[in-house]
Amino acid sequence: MYKQVFKVFKVFAVAALAAFLGFGGAIAGTTPSPDNAYLYIGWPNDGQVVAAGQPIRVWFGLRNMGVAPKGVQFPHTGHHHLLIDTDLPPANEPIPSDRAHLHFGAGETEAMVELPPGKHTLQLLMGDENHIPHNPPVASRKITITVK
Amino acid sequence: MLKQAFLAVSAIAVLAGAPAFAAGAPSPSNAEVFIVWPSDGTVIQGGKFWLRMGLRNMGIAPKGVDVPNVGHHHLLIDTELPPFDQPIPSDRNHLHFGAGETEARIELPPGKHTLQLLLGDHNHIPHNPPVHSKKITITVP
Repeated sequence: MYKQVFKVFKVFAVAALAAFLGFGGAIAGTTPSPDNAYLYIGWPNDGQVVAAGQPIRVWFGLRNMGVAPKGVQFPHTGHHHLLIDTDLPPANEPIPSDRAHLHFGAGETEAMVELPPGKHTLQLLMGDENHIPHNPPVASRKITITVK
Repeated sequence: MLKQAFLAVSAIAVLAGAPAFAAGAPSPSNAEVFIVWPSDGTVIQGGKFWLRMGLRNMGIAPKGVDVPNVGHHHLLIDTELPPFDQPIPSDRNHLHFGAGETEARIELPPGKHTLQLLLGDHNHIPHNPPVHSKKITITVP
């Protein structure tokens, strides 16, 4: 009985390992990030209610890593991307550039954003010089704000 | 007579000062650097803290990267602004963040300390015009 459980576990472990190895090249970009890199939204706070009709300033917080403009290759740096009302994109491709994925390729560390009334999610994701997430990806927690 | 003399002196000062002042890369006129945290007058138990550096209407780039409208942070501790026409000194009173850092772990001994940010260009020279924060004072009990 125990042995069977163990066997099942073993099959699972092998499958997990295979998945890990198989997708190893695909789960992230090739630019390494420091283990202790920490990305967060300094403001607004999770759950914040902000007034409609006026832009808010989003602070980009980054520890144990630096900022560099797009196209600049420098160890342990990247540039900020703000994801609005969307999930994390695939980690092995350039981050899309559209209304839901704002790029800060000039090395900006804050942004003015105006959102329509309603609930919105915000999340930061670092991209390397080619706009591809690092390995491992450096993303903030996703927060929700309400505009009214 | 006095006024004329004054005008002559200021003209000389402007002429003499201008070339030296213009050594760094140009900065946007609305660029602003500021200390997000700590705020002026903060008392920091133990003297260890994360300094958060803020920059508006300009971008961050590591040292040596010559791209328009960027620079890297320098933290001045217990010192005045250095000359604007030379590279910012690198010592215990002038910390360089040439890897594009926007936060730093700082540790200060007990006492009152001043903190001020000064942006440097790719050669560590302040921009033209210089982009620096207000000088704040913190206390470590």
